[in-house]
Amino acid sequence: MSNHHQDKGSFLERLIFNNRPTVILICLLVSIFLFYQALQVRPSTSFEKMIPLQHPFIQKMLEHRNDLANLGNTVRISVEAKDGDIFSKEYMETLRQVNDEVFYIPGVDRSGLKSLWSPSVRWTEVTEEGFAGGEVIPQTYDGSPDSLDELRNNVLKSGQIGRLVANNFKSSIVDVPLLESYPDPQDQGTLLKLDYRQFSHELEEKIRDKYEAQNPNVEIHIVGFAKKVGDLIDGLVMVVAFFAIAFLITLVLLMWFTRCLRSTVAVLFTTLVAVIWQLGLMHTVGFGLDPYSMLVPFLIFAIGISHGVQKINGIALQSSEADNSLTAARLTFRQLFLPGAIAILADAVGFITLLIIDIGVIRELAIGASIGVGVIVFTNLILLPVAISYVGISKKAIERSKKDAVREHPFWRLLSNFAHPVVAPISVVIALAAFGGGLWYGHGLKIGDLDQGAPELRPDSRYNQDNAFIINNYSTSSDVLVVMVKSKAEGCSIYETMQPIDELMWTMSNTEGVQSAISLVTVSKQMIKGMNEGNLKWETLSRNKDVLNNSIARADGLFNNDCSLAPVLVFLNDHKAETLDRAVNAVKAFAKDHDTENLQFLLAAGNAGIEAATNEVIKETELTILILVYICVATMCMITFRSVAATLCIVLPLILTSVLGNALMTFLGIGVKVATLPVIALGVGIGVDYGIYIYSRLESFLRAGMPLQEAYYQTLKSTGKAVLFTGLCLAIGVCTWIFSAIKFQADMGLMLTFMLLWNMFGALWLLPALARFLIKPEKLAGKKGGSLLAH
Amino acid sequence: MSEPVMRRTQSGDAKQLRTSAFRFHSPLANVLSLCSVLSVLSFVAPLSVQAATDASATVYSIPSAKAADALLLDIDNAGKRLVAVGDRGHILYSDDEGKTWTQAKVPSRMMLTAVAFGDDKHGWAVGHDALILATTDGGTTWTQQFSDQEREEGAPFLDVWFKDDSTGFAVGAYGALFATTDGGKTWDDASDRLDNPDGYHLNAITEVKGSGLFVVGEMGSMFRSTDGGETWETLQGPYEGSLFGVLGTNEPGTVLAYGLRGNLFRSTDFGTTWTPIKVKSPRGKLDFGLSGGALLKDGSVVIVGHGGSVLKSTDNGLTFSLINRPDRLSLSSVAADDKGDLVLVGQGGVHVTSPTGEDASPKQ
Repeated sequence: MSNHHQDKGSFLERLIFNNRPTVILICLLVSIFLFYQALQVRPSTSFEKMIPLQHPFIQKMLEHRNDLANLGNTVRISVEAKDGDIFSKEYMETLRQVNDEVFYIPGVDRSGLKSLWSPSVRWTEVTEEGFAGGEVIPQTYDGSPDSLDELRNNVLKSGQIGRLVANNFKSSIVDVPLLESYPDPQDQGTLLKLDYRQFSHELEEKIRDKYEAQNPNVEIHIVGFAKKVGDLIDGLVMVVAFFAIAFLITLVLLMWFTRCLRSTVAVLFTTLVAVIWQLGLMHTVGFGLDPYSMLVPFLIFAIGISHGVQKINGIALQSSEADNSLTAARLTFRQLFLPGAIAILADAVGFITLLIIDIGVIRELAIGASIGVGVIVFTNLILLPVAISYVGISKKAIERSKKDAVREHPFWRLLSNFAHPVVAPISVVIALAAFGGGLWYGHGLKIGDLDQGAPELRPDSRYNQDNAFIINNYSTSSDVLVVMVKSKAEGCSIYETMQPIDELMWTMSNTEGVQSAISLVTVSKQMIKGMNEGNLKWETLSRNKDVLNNSIARADGLFNNDCSLAPVLVFLNDHKAETLDRAVNAVKAFAKDHDTENLQFLLAAGNAGIEAATNEVIKETELTILILVYICVATMCMITFRSVAATLCIVLPLILTSVLGNALMTFLGIGVKVATLPVIALGVGIGVDYGIYIYSRLESFLRAGMPLQEAYYQTLKSTGKAVLFTGLCLAIGVCTWIFSAIKFQADMGLMLTFMLLWNMFGALWLLPALARFLIKPEKLAGKKGGSLLAH
Repeated sequence: MSEPVMRRTQSGDAKQLRTSAFRFHSPLANVLSLCSVLSVLSFVAPLSVQAATDASATVYSIPSAKAADALLLDIDNAGKRLVAVGDRGHILYSDDEGKTWTQAKVPSRMMLTAVAFGDDKHGWAVGHDALILATTDGGTTWTQQFSDQEREEGAPFLDVWFKDDSTGFAVGAYGALFATTDGGKTWDDASDRLDNPDGYHLNAITEVKGSGLFVVGEMGSMFRSTDGGETWETLQGPYEGSLFGVLGTNEPGTVLAYGLRGNLFRSTDFGTTWTPIKVKSPRGKLDFGLSGGALLKDGSVVIVGHGGSVLKSTDNGLTFSLINRPDRLSLSSVAADDKGDLVLVGQGGVHVTSPTGEDASPKQ
């Protein structure tokens, strides 16, 4: 099959290899343009792209977005006294300095800044004359034991325990509301957009580091959306370092594999070109680089390298027979272009199925990855052989490849036993047992995020530790489900609205997994009690509309401008799927009983509302994606090999991997979520490559009349090393992610590494065993066959 | 420094009341609202008003595991049983000295403010919407005797007292005094027996040993009756601020009245003359409002209030010891079990404590 002559090549081959300088020039020009484009790519963490926009919860949330805006973007800084409590001169001094320092950080809404030192934080008391009150820290405060005593009394009367002051009096909070855009300090006329990353860094440097060093008795905890996003972006930047690490490891492995600097550089270079093209195209079509699509360059790099290796392997083999590098490159192109293109097409088809998930980041990932693998056709299937035809492969590598072709390989000989008539049934039985076991164990697979705290970050990250501290010491929770109560304009404060809200809050409080709920009713009851001299017997709603109207005057953010929408904040224990389901179902049942023309209970906003919506979308699409991706891959195999048996040999090992992957996720406590759903499709799409490469070779040896085991040995000898190497390359490309500071990236990395390695193993181990049962070598022998890949 | 006075608003002109149409549970309406066919719903609206009047009689308080931890306002002994009432129509009883609580079935979700037993079995609970509930089985089941949403827009009764299983009084907001002599089968509005032209809230009613009945209320108002509540004498009290509670002691004629900002007064002549009682707190004078109290079987007096304040006197109110519970939750009322341990109610529900009000052992 290697005795073709130059002139017998296809039209495509002639087009490319007869115009080599033009090909290089075109690639160069495209690269320059796309490199320029790639430089413009910026990390983006667009909120809307991470949520299922078509879900009714989200639609309602976006519809009422402006009404909910007041709920606010704040950062909370808790200053903890390690010894003793907050009532010490030193502690209060540090708190004052922190308060003042934060005041001057750009982006802080200074008027809303709140701590014990703020004049707006007051104590009130009912006296014979009415309310009496004052600043919690009075003007006369001087740090003396007497004034600290007064402070302690004022704090008790201020109602801030559990809010600004911890339940155990060992820490207190500086509440920092933020402005999304703020006037430029240099030029008051222009508005600057708040840079979360920079803001987060300023908090670290100017607050945490500075004051923990200055007063060794304090520890500072910072939580809030802005801090979380800042930490996330920091995590993203770290990913660039991972790319460098993956690049270096790949370089070493390539050198070991090819023993040829020239081809190593050629492969790495063309693959980098692929990555640059992909990034450039991403920017050209208007996508940014978000925490999910950051995976794409890694995948493209890994897939590119693996195809490059197949090419180099082929060229080295051809070089031992061809008289020059150009001929070797042409022959390899002729031999590998089609299977390569089919494998890439399979990848792309696998990625494209992700488009059915209604979440922006996943769609961008799908499109980005499809574009990326498309690019590989040009760079690694076309540019690489052209480049090699110029630079050639070192004599040493060719010598080695020549020797390899004839010598006996004990390792491959051993592996070829997988096709042995005795070993094969055992393998199939083991595989069936693993399949059954995996199916049974994977049944416990959960939907959604399972860990405490911010799911984006690791449970032991600084942010989540701070978050746990706040949750444990203050009356608050980080998982909030917001129910939007919609009434007629000016209708939010009437008894007929407030009473059902009160009932909803109590219904929710009695739902398992709910800690508490607050709304304007909470404030109203407190105010009515206050208007009645603090008497607990009045801490309930009044039927008097003037009393109710007055009572919500201070419930900022708990109703909108025209009093037609009031959010009910339901605080949950955690964001596990069953907790969210229970809470959401409780609200739905309540709404069913209480919705009227003038009053509707709408789901949902708040981080828990968004997660509930996301979980629903994922639950609905999970199986669809799996079925779709398998249909696509199986169809690809059918078209390629025109054989049901071949399709089964390739697809069944993949199914085993999917099932075991689910079991592994269950074991590791990883839920099916936005981050892990694409892995299923990516894993299958890329995993099918191995099967295609191995089966196409195996088939050609069977056609040559070899018995199964011998044919498999020959397959391994020629392509086994490349397959093994491909698996390693892909795994290395993604496994660095396991160390990402971002939890879902780590989960993606772990699952992809598992799926890619296990798919490779499945192809090497199970494919020949299945072939033993499904393929009749004597039928194939000597036949030309209808396979697309038949030569 | 002081802020402007924000006194309660008396209902005055805002009296027109709509029939509340929100609490319907009609299955038809449910189905229709599910379909969210708005035009059809507006057609159904007149129907739902009728549903509301039908349904309001059968709206029961929601059984809740959290009821014992939610706001409770009063507690009384019914023989060996403890019965507590509170927010959302919660009535709880305990037969094991407060260790475990059972929620009674109550035909209301309004806040209940006070409970009183005339004997071991007969008890009454009062609350908002001028609600009066009664039990004849020691608090296990309750029926509604009286309710009036129209009276001052659902203003509450704030205290209730019963002499035996037939004669009793309920007092409440805007000068309400209601009387019964037939165990509540009929309740008469007896408000005009008091000289209360400004309609001050009446916060508490009690019996003073050997003397008669005593009522205290808003703006330091005080009333006493020596003929079982038929006629009432208005007293000039020692204090301008509101009084939330009044207690007779074991000593005949001795009364304790208490209210805002730790103000506590003692009279040994059934309210004719008063002496302020100074209660020392570790940080000076006691500053927390005092809400409710009880005369215990052993003759000691316990008064509770805001800031977790628990005051106890064993000398008929001459001197008090004070503890402020560390959780600082406001307390509303108190009772004692057979051993003399206190059972406090207020914010955070029930707190079973030692005889001084400190936590003896963790709850449950």
